Amino acid sequence: MYILKNSIISIVRNKGRNILIGIIILVIACSSTVTLAIRNTANRLVKNYEESHDIIAKISFNRKGLAQNFKGGADARKENIEAFNNIESITIDDIKNYGDSENLKGFYYMYSTSLNSDSLTKATDSFEYEVENRQTTTNSSSTTTGENNGTERFAGEGFRPERRTTINNNTTTVITKSKEIFQSSRNLTGDFTINGYSSYDAMTDFVNGTHKITEGEMITGFNVYECVISSELATLNQISVGDNIEFKNSNLSKKTYQFKVTGIYTDNSNTDDTQNMYSNSVNSIITGSGVIELLVQDDSTLVTNITPSFIIKTKDNVEKFTEEVKQKGLNEYYAINTNIEQLDTATKSIKNVETFATTFLIITLIISAIVVVVINMINIRERKYEIGVFRTIGISKFKLTIQFIIELFIVSIIMLSIGTVCGSFLAKPVGNELLKTEIENVKVEEQEISTNFGKGPMNMNFNTNVQVEQINSINAVVDFYVVLELIGIGVFLVLLSSIASMISIQRFSPLTILKERS
Amino acid sequence: MGILKLDNVGYRYKDAKKDDFVFKNINYEFEQGKMYAIKGKSGSGKTTLLSIITGLEKCTEGNVLYDGKDLEKMNLDKYRNTDIGIVFQSYNLLPRFTAIENIVLSMDVSKLKIKNKKDKALELMKSVGLDEKQSKRKILKLSGGEQQRIAIARSLAYNPKIIIADEPTGNLDKDTENEILKIFRNLAKEQNKCIIIVTHSQNICEKVDFVYDLAKYYR
Repeated sequence: MYILKNSIISIVRNKGRNILIGIIILVIACSSTVTLAIRNTANRLVKNYEESHDIIAKISFNRKGLAQNFKGGADARKENIEAFNNIESITIDDIKNYGDSENLKGFYYMYSTSLNSDSLTKATDSFEYEVENRQTTTNSSSTTTGENNGTERFAGEGFRPERRTTINNNTTTVITKSKEIFQSSRNLTGDFTINGYSSYDAMTDFVNGTHKITEGEMITGFNVYECVISSELATLNQISVGDNIEFKNSNLSKKTYQFKVTGIYTDNSNTDDTQNMYSNSVNSIITGSGVIELLVQDDSTLVTNITPSFIIKTKDNVEKFTEEVKQKGLNEYYAINTNIEQLDTATKSIKNVETFATTFLIITLIISAIVVVVINMINIRERKYEIGVFRTIGISKFKLTIQFIIELFIVSIIMLSIGTVCGSFLAKPVGNELLKTEIENVKVEEQEISTNFGKGPMNMNFNTNVQVEQINSINAVVDFYVVLELIGIGVFLVLLSSIASMISIQRFSPLTILKERS
Repeated sequence: MGILKLDNVGYRYKDAKKDDFVFKNINYEFEQGKMYAIKGKSGSGKTTLLSIITGLEKCTEGNVLYDGKDLEKMNLDKYRNTDIGIVFQSYNLLPRFTAIENIVLSMDVSKLKIKNKKDKALELMKSVGLDEKQSKRKILKLSGGEQQRIAIARSLAYNPKIIIADEPTGNLDKDTENEILKIFRNLAKEQNKCIIIVTHSQNICEKVDFVYDLAKYYR
């Protein structure tokens, strides 16, 4: 007990020395709080972001791999085309087989085909075109559209061909029909794209809010002939929720299918494309993947596309999954691509801030540890006489060491508390300012790249195929973990600096000290 | 049987030659209720002998026996805070503590179990001629004589059987020296303490019961 009493007396009666040590600890505590709060919050934000954004793997066609095997020379052209056409497409069974993996959280896919319709008018980019086309449809045979077979239509004299290409450029789209040659998978030939989703998760446009149901509701099952259509198509064709719409097979024009409209959605995607009147998804009919399977059962020559998405458990599983899929027979001309790069890009700025905070914390700790140890050594030398007196009156070396540790500990606790409060006020603005600067740096970097492309600043969009939102505020908070880490730092520094006093107390001979004094 | 016995005690510095002793073959015996003086010239090893008796230094030859027990086998911290009181020439008080705090600290260190340590400390201060007013002063605000009295009071705080003083009046005037000696005499006679004074003062040597001359044992 007297050890504690001595420590308190010593702290109170040695104000100058303890204020100096206190200021140093205050600075350490304040900067450590700020950096720890920023680091931990950034870490948590990145973790949350990664948890809320799945690692999605998709299968894409590896043109580079194919090109490497191309042969040269005049006669090789036919051979190359044949080799290309002979690449077997991936079937839905393959996708389900790949999806049955321990490396995945799950998987989903969009199974698409296209159908025509006699009763519906396809929305195109010109209103005048639509009016005329509607008149044509009304007045003449509706088979016009069915005979279109993916070629561009002209609305009449003076009209340009449809500017928006109907070729599906999505590199992840592959044909499911094994007997079909790959080349044919580029086009879905009907007027209306029927997108069959395997689950609600697969409806990523609805998940991320690009599409939103404004009337009715989503389809109730994935095997029933229900659908959701775009508001533009609904308006154009005066369709309401609950109506039945009829499509016909583009190959077998007599084969028709009735779909019940359960909902109408709007496409909220922002586009700078001023040349198109309608949204890209205007003619997309949303239904369940089971429906597409039924259609294919009906007509095995129906051209279909499948866009699989595999949700990978962790980054570590990506390579394992790639290997597994290859072992399961994925053709060498297909590759597994993930959105890891896009996810990393979205968190790049905040990770940079986190790295900066960690580096700063380490430097602060190293410098502060040196400063505290040196100050404590000077302090001990100054207090040699005191140590000598304590030893002569019979205080053991151990108790004396404890007394010095307690003194430093009390000063540290008080200053750590004040430093933590100060740091908690500073953490948020400092963190946000750092992140702001970092985001600016990234933007400048992108602008410079845009300039390299001959475009003006901000005219280039990178990684646009995957929409990932950036984290743009850090709002660093001092939470329980920060306090815990600060206590750890405090204890570490106290013990480290106490080593000086421990060694000195062990080495000092009270008699020598007192003789020196005399 | 004496409370303290020096049995063929000798000392040489660590880096000294084998036969280069500061002193050797010292055989002293000290009893309670008596005053002793250890005298010798400067450099004769008076303070070294005091350090050996107080356990601050180890003798290189022979044994120091306290109450029949070899000092080397005892817990020396406990010995210093319970059995022996030390009064230094330069007082060796804690300057940031007040007079009374210095005394109470010694009581705390010795784990003395009394209810009101401050009252006991005041009582001790009064016994060495100091009052309450001086008790609250910091050490550096007291005169040399007052500091020496505090040092004596501190050495009495845990009621040790032996009080050893190193030149206790070396920095004091003649009158104060006599007062201090009077206090020591009272402690020996009234409280049955063994008082050992290391000194070269002829005045002190004349007033103690026994004088040991280190010159006889010097090298």
